[in-house]
This record gives sequence, structure tokens and C-alpha cells, in this order.
Amino acid sequence: MSMIEIDQVSKWYGAFQVLADCSTQVNKGEVVVVCGPSGSGKSTLIRCVNGLEGIQQGNIIVNGIALADLKTNLSKLRSRVGMVFQNFELFPHLSVTDNLTIGQIRMLGRSKEEAQARGLKMLDRVGLKAQAAKYPGALSGGQQQRVAIARALAMDPICMLFDEPTSALDPEMVKEVLDVMVELATEGMTMMCVTHEMGFARKVADRVIFMDHGRIVEDAAKSDFFGTPRSERVQLFLSKILQH
Amino acid sequence: MYEFDWSSILGALPILSHGMLVTLEITLTAIVIGILWGTLLALARLSDIRPLAWLAAGYVNLFRAVPLVMVILWFYLIVPALLKDVIGAAAGSDIRMVSALVAFALFESAYYAEIIRAGVQSVPKGQVNAAYALGMPYALTMRLVVLPQAFRNMLPLLLTQVIILFQDTSLVYVIGLADFFGAAYKVGDRDGRLVEMVLFAGAVYFVLCFGASLLVRQLRKRFAT
Ligand SMILES: Nc1ncnc2c1ncn2[C@@H]1O[C@H](COP(=O)(O)OP(=O)(O)OP(=O)(O)O)[C@@H](O)[C@H]1O
Ligand SMILES: [Mg+2]
Repeated sequence: MSMIEIDQVSKWYGAFQVLADCSTQVNKGEVVVVCGPSGSGKSTLIRCVNGLEGIQQGNIIVNGIALADLKTNLSKLRSRVGMVFQNFELFPHLSVTDNLTIGQIRMLGRSKEEAQARGLKMLDRVGLKAQAAKYPGALSGGQQQRVAIARALAMDPICMLFDEPTSALDPEMVKEVLDVMVELATEGMTMMCVTHEMGFARKVADRVIFMDHGRIVEDAAKSDFFGTPRSERVQLFLSKILQH
Repeated sequence: MYEFDWSSILGALPILSHGMLVTLEITLTAIVIGILWGTLLALARLSDIRPLAWLAAGYVNLFRAVPLVMVILWFYLIVPALLKDVIGAAAGSDIRMVSALVAFALFESAYYAEIIRAGVQSVPKGQVNAAYALGMPYALTMRLVVLPQAFRNMLPLLLTQVIILFQDTSLVYVIGLADFFGAAYKVGDRDGRLVEMVLFAGAVYFVLCFGASLLVRQLRKRFAT
């Protein structure tokens, strides 16, 4: 049963083709890692999944709902698809608690008390219960990213999208964020993660997708990907990443 | 040598303070309506809907290209007719005040719109995406996420514009409305003490505006950190 279906998707910025005939799917409970060189279209692809970017060709179906369908309530769908960004994107003018509750109250119609209880539970889960009253600016990058994950989780997402969640972090903070993500993965959350953390991929990914120039060049089970990658491009990329 | 005589100021205080009330009323109305209407104009100008963006741009460019004095005069000539036609109100009521309020509100909106547009653009695009990703529609995203941050960023500019507006209200003399400056002028003229009254009025404007600009500078410093 697939949670996310990407079917022959192409996208252009003017004359420039960012995505070229991309097809893949993420099944329920699956963890799929997307990697590839800078500018290959990873962010664009993942942003298309919840409709932050439109596409000109193909189809994207999330939880059985086609994004392109005019009857689709995109807002409602997005409220149940968690997304974590490279730059955290917490709302700086709101406290951590308000960051955690604003979506629940406005989009899920939860009461303030209910939303706070749920938000605090998620905050506790990422190990930051003590920071509830602070503002994002007073937190470290790693802490901000964990709050951002908690904010997404508080919406009871049916799946989670991550776009390079650790690449803006100082090295010593990468682990605390990855630990949260690993825990989520082992608990069975459906996840699509753009990341170059190959340790994470080895540990919890079911499949790894490799992109280059807007194309999905490799889409393989983890063991195949790290064992016998088919394309030279992937081999080169892996050898580069594994060097450091 | 001119002999200064400041004695008539004291007796003129009631008239002057009434004038100051008129000045403040115009200023405050223009701020409130200007910010509301200016926000809508700014968002329209940034909108993907081309005709809407063009209309807003046309409005803003028109008002910014025309001297305020003229706008005040136009509205003085137009508003009475409008009031009669549209609202059916008695044209005898305080037409000068109403037309001045309308003129200033619509004129200031154009300037606020440009400041607010810059403020909205100063909020990183990622914030909009984060709000969208939580499911928020456009209007909610603007209201809860973008505008609060935008207004914070542009507060010094907005306040500077308020100071300019406060000074510009003196232009209502063209339609004979007794704002603070107009009142000072009238009293000075009546008592034959025009020089003193105009100097006094200038001093009051200076103290208020300079004080306010110091305040803005403080704010700027605090927000810069
Ligand atoms: N709004 C846009 N307009 C025009 N071109 C864009 C736009 N957004 C992205 N691009 C281009 O599309 C290509 C893919 O961008 P994308 O951000 O998806 O790459 P990426 O794989 O995520 O790269 P990175 O690893 O640097 O994050 C890049 O060449 C980028 O310059
Ligand atoms: Mg990217």
C-alpha cells in the first residue's frame, strides 16, 4: 500500500527542466532516503509531494489523494503531511509552545488545552520539555530542528518529509537530530528524507533514491544501493561522500 | 528692530489645542486606515493575480506621483458631491474635515503600501513554506506568520512615515481647515502677532517630531541587535 506515489513527474522553471520523468513511491511504514549532488532536484521533488511546488506533467498521489485533482483540499492534506526544512523555519515571533500549537488549533480545530498537551508531549519526546516557554531564537540549531520535528509530529502526520534536516547544523548537533529521526523510523513512521547522512540511510532506510540532473538515476533497496550500485555516477558520488 | 511679544500665546491656548486635536485626528485616522488599506494594497501588489497587482501598482504610483496639496484640494472638491450622491448625507456637515480625512487616508495608504511591501518581502520565503506545510491557507499565513514579522521589521520606517504625515497635516490650510498650524496662523493674524505664533507653532512641531525621531532611533538600535 503506497503512501506517496510519484508518477512520471516533470517540472520546468521556464526553459530549465528541474525534474525529468521522475517515478517512485513510498509505501506505508517505509523510509526512503533521497540523495544526489547539489542542484539535482531533490528539494524540488520533495516539495512537490505536498504541493509547495506545482508540476507541469505527471501525477502525485498522497494517501490515495491526487494533488492535481481540483476537488483535493490541499490545505487539509498538507496539515497531515509533516515537513521539516533545512533551516528549521520555526516562527521566530512565537514561543516554542505557540509554534507547536498554532497548526493544531488553526488547522485541526483542536482546543488550546488539547493542542498544548499534544505539543508538550511531542516536545518531551524530542527531549526539550524544559524549553517550552522560550523563543526559537534562544535555542541552538539542533534544538530548533528538534522543535520543528515536534511541531510536525503534533499534527499527527500520516507521513513525514525531511529536506536536508541536518545540513545547516554544526557537526556536534547532527547526532541529536538524527537520533530523533532514527527513533521515528523504527516506530514505523513513513518517511521521505533528502539527506546525505549515509549512516542514517544504512541504519534505517528501506530504499535509497539517487538523483542527478532532475532524474531518478537509481532507486534501489538499501542493500543493493550500498552493495552493488549500478551506475558509475552513484559510485563516484558514494566514494566522494564516504571519504569524509 | 522687531519687538517680540509672546503674550498672546497664553490666551490662544484653547484655540491652539483645538487645532492640535484636529491635527491628531487626521494623523491617527490616516495611520489606521493607511495601514489597513496599505496592507491590502501591498499584498495585492505582491499577488500572482496579474490584474490585481497592476491595479494596486497603478494606485500606489498615482498617489506617489501627485503632490499631497493637490490631493487634499481634489477631495475637497469631490467629496461633497460624493457624500450627496453615495451616502445621501447633508452636504452642510463638516465637509472640510471629512474630505481631509479621506484624502490623507488614501494618500498615506500608497506610502504605507510600499513600506509594507518591503516588510513582507523581508520575511524569508521559508516561513511561508513552513506555514503552508502546516496546512495554513494564504490569508492565515499572512495574518499569523508573515505580517507580524513584517511589521516588526518595518516599525522604524512606519514611524518615520508617521512623523512626516504629522507634519504634512499642516497642508490642510489650502482648504481653510484649522489644524494646529492653521489655528496658530489665524490667531497670529488676528492679534497682529504672526511672527511669534508661527515661530511658536514651528517650535512645537520641532519638539514633537524630533522627540519622536529620537524614539525611532532607539527602536532601530534595539531591533538591530
Ligand atoms: N524558483 C526557482 N526558479 C528557477 N530555478 C530554480 C528554482 N528553484 C530551484 N531552481 C533550480 O532547480 C535546480 C534544482 O534545485 P533543488 O533545490 O531542487 O536542488 P537540490 O537537489 O535540492 O540541491 P541542494 O543539494 O543544493 O539542496 C537547481 O539548479 C536550482 O538552481
Ligand atoms: Mg535542496
